[in-house]
Amino acid sequence: MVKGFKRKFFSGIEIYGFLILVSIYALLPFIWMLSTSLKTEAEAFRVPPTWIPIKSTLDAYVSMWTKKNFGIYFLNSAVISLATAVLSTFFGALAGYGFSRFVFKGRKFLIGFFLATQMLPGVLLVGPYFKILSKFGLYDTRTGLVIAFLTICLPFSTWMMKGFIDRVPDALDQAALVDGCSRLGVFFRVILPISAPGMVATIIFAFLLAWGDLLWVICLTSTESMVTVTLGIARTVGEFQIIWPMLMAGALMGGMPAIILYLLLQRLLVQGLTAGAVKE
Amino acid sequence: MKLLKIKDRHMWTLFVLPGTILLVLVLGFPAFQSILYSIYPEGGGTSYTLNNYSILFSDSVFRQVFGNTVLFVILSVASHLLLGLGVALVLNREIFAKPVFRLIALLPWVVPDVVVGIIWRWMFDPVYGAFNDLLLRIGLISTHVQWLSSPKLALLSVIFVNLWRGFPFVMLILLAGLQSIPRVLYEAAAIDGASRWQLFARITLPSLKKMLVVALALDIVWEVRRFGLIQTMTQGGPGNITEVLSTYIYKQYFQFFRFEYASAVAVIMTAALLMVSLPYIWMISQEE
Repeated sequence: MVKGFKRKFFSGIEIYGFLILVSIYALLPFIWMLSTSLKTEAEAFRVPPTWIPIKSTLDAYVSMWTKKNFGIYFLNSAVISLATAVLSTFFGALAGYGFSRFVFKGRKFLIGFFLATQMLPGVLLVGPYFKILSKFGLYDTRTGLVIAFLTICLPFSTWMMKGFIDRVPDALDQAALVDGCSRLGVFFRVILPISAPGMVATIIFAFLLAWGDLLWVICLTSTESMVTVTLGIARTVGEFQIIWPMLMAGALMGGMPAIILYLLLQRLLVQGLTAGAVKE
Repeated sequence: MKLLKIKDRHMWTLFVLPGTILLVLVLGFPAFQSILYSIYPEGGGTSYTLNNYSILFSDSVFRQVFGNTVLFVILSVASHLLLGLGVALVLNREIFAKPVFRLIALLPWVVPDVVVGIIWRWMFDPVYGAFNDLLLRIGLISTHVQWLSSPKLALLSVIFVNLWRGFPFVMLILLAGLQSIPRVLYEAAAIDGASRWQLFARITLPSLKKMLVVALALDIVWEVRRFGLIQTMTQGGPGNITEVLSTYIYKQYFQFFRFEYASAVAVIMTAALLMVSLPYIWMISQEE
């Protein structure tokens, strides 16, 4: 009896206490961001700070869209990220299918190559990219950024799509082939429709990878019309006087797409991330 | 379940080659260029040289930045593992409102690096920020602390933010691992009279080994490359106190335009990164 009692050395209260502490740790910065974004500029500089705004206003949000070019930033981020995501998922699905279904010489080497490219740091590539893109007139263009973002997204998309396609039984392919379907036909008419949820997850994840990047945007753009959300936020750091309610409103709006998409896709995300890592 | 195989062995090229060629073009080629830059003499010239590398190793700033990066990565990854494992273990139990807690714990990992950096920069503001206000109210500190501008605290503060940012990923991966451990294992061991600690050490940890390796490898790579977070919080300052390799290389390239030197640093960084991650790459590609 004593032993059975001892076994529970973490009681319910301690567990919930721990979880509540972790939740506060995780949430407080977000609450602070929301609270600041609703304040007037004067209230943001009150000592001691207020947690619930005395006078709530949406002025900071309005100013971001009207006084700053936040609309342009948002559009740039959306267009660039979406183009990258669709391209990398398409090529990733092709390669993922190839790796999933065929056994060929050099397969392990190629898989290793795709994995290794995922490890390369962006700073190894930004210098050459700056020169090459300038040479082709693609520096400071959306196209240039899409090409650059493929380096982050393509290895990842391949890996994730391979994981999803692995779950589709090979018997389906064989049946379609027997019925006279070509390999490409199998891929487009059987595999892609079946792994549609996986594709959506991959597109969204690649989208968010591109959306969250700062390094490439800061290195490969120079004009106001090419600024993305992340660069728009990061640039303010060097400014002489920071208007914090506006900046926090921008940060909140810049983080919103990610928060919404992740919450919708939590389950698929875990599947995708751990695909290949755990075998069932 | 051996089905009859249609003979189209060579079709793999059609699927794998487009992506491979694309990768070689957008990634392999520039990477090779970078290596070439790193052996060009600084400021122009024709003959190849290893001068950039010898400059680099005698450069005290580079050594400091390298040390910062190592410290940043080790402390970040270790703290991610500890907190991530702790939260995952708790969330794997039968508890009330589990999905809500999991969601909340995931949030810091979901938003872009830049957003994290900017929020915490404002949190850490010595006078108007929430962090000092909170600690003052609880009574943990008695004066306004300069979290990001004090040479003693700046790097630790950045690592503290990175703990917040990165632990959810480890938690997510380990939680997936925990959920795949068959319950029967625990029941059988419990009947045999195993203590909770024995269950953890003999069943949980060994079953998590694979997931721990995955989480560790990916986390190390991500932390070595971390850029936006530091760039928005401190830009490497004060002095070079929070400078890590990625922000350092960026500065050498785009503020001082030392392309050859920056390339040499980037090559060293990549070599170190690949050395750390090669065992992982090998492990995964052998299993596939």
